[in-house]
Amino acid sequence: MGYIAKIHNMLAQKEISCAELTKEYLNRIESDNAALKAYVCVTADEALKTAEAVDKKIAAGEEIGLLEGVPMSLKDNMSTKGISTTCCSKILTGYKPIYDATVWELLKAQNAVMLGKTNMDEFAMGSSCETSYYGGAANPFNTNHVSGGSSGGAASAVSGNLAAYSLGSDTGGSIRQPASFCGVVGLKPTYGAVSRYGLIAYASSLDQIGPVAKTVEDAAIVFDAISKPDKRDSTCLGAKGGDTFSQLGNDIKGMKIGIAREYLDGVRDDVKEAVLAASEVYKSLGAEIVYFDLPVIKYALPVYYIIACAEASSNLGRYDGIRYGYKTEHYNGTHDMICRTRSEGFGEEVKRRILLGTYVLSAGYYDAYYKKATDLRGTIIRAFNDAFASCDVILAPTVPMTAFEKGHAVSDPIETYLTDICTVPVNIAGLPGVSVPCGFNSKGMPIGMQLIGRSFGEAQILNAAYHYQQAAPENFKDTKWGVKL
Amino acid sequence: MVTREDVENIALLSKLFVPENELDSLTASMQEIIDFADAINNAPSSEDGFDNINNLSNVFREDEVVPSYPVSEILKNAPEQAEDHFLVRNRE
Repeated sequence: MGYIAKIHNMLAQKEISCAELTKEYLNRIESDNAALKAYVCVTADEALKTAEAVDKKIAAGEEIGLLEGVPMSLKDNMSTKGISTTCCSKILTGYKPIYDATVWELLKAQNAVMLGKTNMDEFAMGSSCETSYYGGAANPFNTNHVSGGSSGGAASAVSGNLAAYSLGSDTGGSIRQPASFCGVVGLKPTYGAVSRYGLIAYASSLDQIGPVAKTVEDAAIVFDAISKPDKRDSTCLGAKGGDTFSQLGNDIKGMKIGIAREYLDGVRDDVKEAVLAASEVYKSLGAEIVYFDLPVIKYALPVYYIIACAEASSNLGRYDGIRYGYKTEHYNGTHDMICRTRSEGFGEEVKRRILLGTYVLSAGYYDAYYKKATDLRGTIIRAFNDAFASCDVILAPTVPMTAFEKGHAVSDPIETYLTDICTVPVNIAGLPGVSVPCGFNSKGMPIGMQLIGRSFGEAQILNAAYHYQQAAPENFKDTKWGVKL
Repeated sequence: MVTREDVENIALLSKLFVPENELDSLTASMQEIIDFADAINNAPSSEDGFDNINNLSNVFREDEVVPSYPVSEILKNAPEQAEDHFLVRNRE
């Protein structure tokens, strides 16, 4: 049983009140967050207010929904009315949105208990959470290691039992990579399945919001709750593959699971072995393993960085010190004020990506980089479509390695970009991908595998993930932190 | 080849200041990333093209008047404001 169902039953059967449960989570955040740094903002008053409303319903004998009263958290790039939303950047210090992101509006309507906002790489730009203005979140399996990023706080909070689930966002792997590093489940939905309204934009054609959870059931329940069409995001169609939770457990005998050889190139041996061992589990469950080539994904990483940075340079143009957030103290003229505000407000990685994005969009370089990258994006999409003619689901590593030690990522940007090599193709092609724990290395750090589906094929990949979870529960380990249910 | 002048020009377009003493290291760092991005120029030319992920096409809807946010709410986050406007001073 997943954590959400477990909490739901505890509340419905009055084993614990929602206020007691919420206080337990808040107490553990107070004691454990100093080490994990999963949260950058704790919303205790709001959480307790919602918990009391849920308790009143239960006391009145009313039925409660599955997500009602379940303590959760949101990544700090999702707008929450009246609650600090900073993208973990100095430039958004003090910013309190005047509206809610659609995902939060949907969950709030179900009386989800938000415990706070989680840590992240600044503007979701990073793979270790260490570009956060507040310092990075730690890995609950070993706090000397990074949580991964950019949704590092979300993965750390869930792995460390400081939230039953969390919402992250994934532009190039930012849900799946930290989920892999922290030994939890992370789903990046199909582009257009979940509304981006109120998600502070990094790269609009790649960004998607999705759940980070302890189990596949939990990820499915949350995905079903947030994947609704939204007229405020014209690209959002909602889930088109039906309710995913009710499809968990469907037979996977005869399912064709594809492995692209290129995904295994350059991957550390322990990760490769764990992924291949998972393919053996699938064989024993009656699935068929099919190997194929996907040579075009070798261009995925540069294509991703060109497109993402180009879009970021445009999206981050809005931070000018005039309408919200940080403003420089000393300046001489408007141009000087804007330049100083931005130079003082953005961190190094964000500035690097804005400059790179501006470069590839500037006259003389647009055709060679941006135009070429978007053309190749079409080629990558076609290659995935062709691959899905011969398989139902693609199995790959989530990250070529396990969580590295703190401080390692900061030293070399290119080497850090390479950690995204297995996750970015999914964003480029707009496909759904879920990271699932599939083993541990010799030092006890989690290894994740990725299941990639056809467009709007969330039900299929979550079902495949669910069967693996049932067959290999030893890979879903708990940590010593947080609330023990 | 990324030059110091390129970086100065891009920084100006990006409305970012790059201190003189960081210009050389930033130019080298940009060159390294551009070399990495140059890998795409080894790819076979593509005729696939790309417009948007789910092949959506633009549609028009009725232009309905809906309530907007009150000015006072919008101005709450402004570093400086005056008389229902964002205030932009030319000098500190």
